[in-house]
Amino acid sequence: MSPAARIEAAGLGASYGAGAVALRDVSFAAEGGQAVAVLGPNGGGKTTLFRALLGELATVAGTFSIEGAIAYVPQTERSRLDFPVSALDVALMGAYARTSWYRRVTAADRALARAALEQVGLGERAHERFGALSGGQRQRVLIARALVQDAGVLLLDEPFAGVDQTSEDAIMGILDALRAEGRVLLIATHDVEQARGWDRVLCLRGEQIAYGEPSSTLTNAVLEATYGAEIVMLDCGHRAVAIQHHDHAH
Amino acid sequence: MRWLTDPLSAPYMQRALVAALLLSLAGGLLGVWIVLRRLAFFAHAVGSATFPGLVVAAPLGIAPPLAALAAGLGFAGLLSRLTRNGATGSDAATGLLLAGALALGSVLASDVYRSGVGVDRLLFGTLLGLGDADLWLAAAVALAAAAATAALARTWLATGFDPAGARALGVSAARGDWLLLVLLAASVVAMLPAVGALLVSALLVIPAATARLLTKSLGALLALSVALAAAESVCGLLLSYHFDLPPGPAIAVVAGGCFALAALVSAAPGRHAARVAA
Repeated sequence: MSPAARIEAAGLGASYGAGAVALRDVSFAAEGGQAVAVLGPNGGGKTTLFRALLGELATVAGTFSIEGAIAYVPQTERSRLDFPVSALDVALMGAYARTSWYRRVTAADRALARAALEQVGLGERAHERFGALSGGQRQRVLIARALVQDAGVLLLDEPFAGVDQTSEDAIMGILDALRAEGRVLLIATHDVEQARGWDRVLCLRGEQIAYGEPSSTLTNAVLEATYGAEIVMLDCGHRAVAIQHHDHAH
Repeated sequence: MRWLTDPLSAPYMQRALVAALLLSLAGGLLGVWIVLRRLAFFAHAVGSATFPGLVVAAPLGIAPPLAALAAGLGFAGLLSRLTRNGATGSDAATGLLLAGALALGSVLASDVYRSGVGVDRLLFGTLLGLGDADLWLAAAVALAAAAATAALARTWLATGFDPAGARALGVSAARGDWLLLVLLAASVVAMLPAVGALLVSALLVIPAATARLLTKSLGALLALSVALAAAESVCGLLLSYHFDLPPGPAIAVVAGGCFALAALVSAAPGRHAARVAA
């Protein structure tokens, strides 16, 4: 992996075109080895932030800088399960950017893809059809694809959505290992309790509500400002659950 | 054996065979991407949309491929316009334009416009009466489809598999999509003289859809799709010769029969169990 992964944004704003600004005033910095939970309601700007950082959306304000390669890990449900691709084929997609259109994927990249699948615990299933794997296994294959991209900064779009507890534990272990390798992880999630376990939390609701360590950021006031009426407080205010409709427009 | 070889002694049949094989290569390869990207209805509609353009062009002396291309591009432009604000779904807009194009073409071909063109020929093609220009166009499209598949397979695969993540993989999704649509339009134009505006799907969709039922690997899918398109075309051509059938519909009937057979085979209990186990 490329050393010294880092990501920083200052006053970042992004728009989907001529329309209204979809996200404004986002400022944060994360070093290699840190995992940042990106919290917010649907439409709050999590995916917009990711798309801006990937260069897919025009930034209308502020700046951002990224040291190291960046990769996006989408939700597995957004990929086509009926496509004729194996887990290895999907992992190899991580090598497409460095493979000229007139060349085959190199043997070195094939070895890298196999190693990435081993790293996420799916080496034995490399030749299984992607669509035949479980949701958690597919998510791990998509993480392997990001590893083949040699990404120092990984943007994970709700990696725990729709996976069972066993898979969630497996993915969590993989993310901990990636953090230990010095990568930066930005993890879009709705799970407030899980966010308490990461290094930093970024709360968005069309703009940045808060950024910092979980203990100082995940206060009732910040959560209510982030989720509004969609937050439910349990256990005398110590436990928060974000009630979400699964609409992925933004 | 003579049932197979006798027809091919006639020069017009040799010409038809060459055209059928070239168009099968183009249709078989592009068809895989069209089916995987769920563009089959769009491909069919592009073919139908060329009908009024061909009717209008005939008495004016405009080259049919140019008229077809213009009509196809007009269709794509209108579709883009209709679906821009999201009020009309892509499939509804495609169906609307398809029906409109067929209706307009039929009205123009009647006494209203006095086009004088053979409607049957425009709708169902004349594989047995192709000229040199038709053959050259078929060869060019076959070459382009093969080259594009070799060069863009990774882009088309990544974009179709994961539209949200494709750009982050470093592939040029927009350029790949644009080239696929251009090739689709060019293939439709090349297929019109052979199978007509209504039956381009016989070469461009059905072989790939049939192959999709029988294999799960991309390489095998491409190879089987081309092989099926070629076999179905040759078979249809022979049936056309021996039973005096119009060749375009004969090819479409054979392709449809192969699809039905493949659907039965793929739904067989043994194969279903194997898929579940996989």
